[in-house]
Amino acid sequence: MILDRLEVTPEELERQTGWELKPEGLCKDDRCVPFPDGSGTDGLVDVTVVAERLGMPLVHDDRHGLWALGPEAGDRVLTSAQLPPIVLADVDGRPFDLASLRGEKVLIAAWASW
Amino acid sequence: MALPVWRQLRTELKPQGLEIVTVALDLEVDAARSWIERSGAEHPQLVDTAHKLDELLGVVNVPSALWVDENGIIVRPPHTAAVERYDFSKLKAPEGLPDDLDAHIRDMLEQVKRIPRFDADHYVEALRDWVVHGAASEYALSPDEVVRRSAPRPPAVAGAAAEFELGQFLHHAGHVDDARAHFRAAHRLQPDNWTYKRNAWELVSPGIQGPTAFYDGDWLSDIKAAGPEHYYARPDF
Repeated sequence: MILDRLEVTPEELERQTGWELKPEGLCKDDRCVPFPDGSGTDGLVDVTVVAERLGMPLVHDDRHGLWALGPEAGDRVLTSAQLPPIVLADVDGRPFDLASLRGEKVLIAAWASW
Repeated sequence: MALPVWRQLRTELKPQGLEIVTVALDLEVDAARSWIERSGAEHPQLVDTAHKLDELLGVVNVPSALWVDENGIIVRPPHTAAVERYDFSKLKAPEGLPDDLDAHIRDMLEQVKRIPRFDADHYVEALRDWVVHGAASEYALSPDEVVRRSAPRPPAVAGAAAEFELGQFLHHAGHVDDARAHFRAAHRLQPDNWTYKRNAWELVSPGIQGPTAFYDGDWLSDIKAAGPEHYYARPDF
């Protein structure tokens, strides 16, 4: 996720990464990672602590004052066989949610013009 | 370009319950537009201008595909999906090129001829088998096997995804020059991700993805270094 400051609301963190802040810590699917209370201010979450706890890269662009919080490092890209939430646009910019295809088998084919 | 083949397969298999979604891994929508508009396909044709499929699913090259069942469960993680039948043996450089470009393109073509090609007919048979038999098909993997066969994500690969995300964000915000440092970092962190490399190279050296001052690598140098036989992961069907 792209950030212009190093604190986010728990809601935004969950929307962008799938990790939900709960009393027991940061949770996704059936995993929870302990998360220290008070790591952010005013109900916000300190992204540097998130990155450290979850093994996520946090990379920076000095000139534009931006960060990108990457996916958690680990053994495999997939931690479950459930297709993660993916919304992509068509050539006219209309969003399409891959989850809208539930009920059919789907083959997702990646190609490129280059 | 495999789009006509995906269209044919969709026409054949949609009545049996298969939808096909094609996703162009293209930073520039307009680069993919004419291919998409000419394809005549009726299935969803999407453009992944941020290469989210790399980060979220582990795609590193094209063509790749994954299979998802009726409940949204992946039964085949991303794999090389060669559905076209090529004959590269007669590939020739165009006539009348300047000598240095001619030599470069001849060299590229020699590498292309050494890229392994896989059995398209067998792949399509496996797909048909899964469409008909579902979970009972020998080609549908268990959830544990899907996770096990998905791409590794050590810290460098996670870092490459973050760098590419920042690069594409700057690129789309109009900071094309500033994006390149992040694309370079992504290339360095995940050298076997050809989508990160080739899409970036294409923007500065359209058509041949040759050496430039902007990037450390280029198509010909990198494929020689990696070995063309390793360009595509062999699909395990």
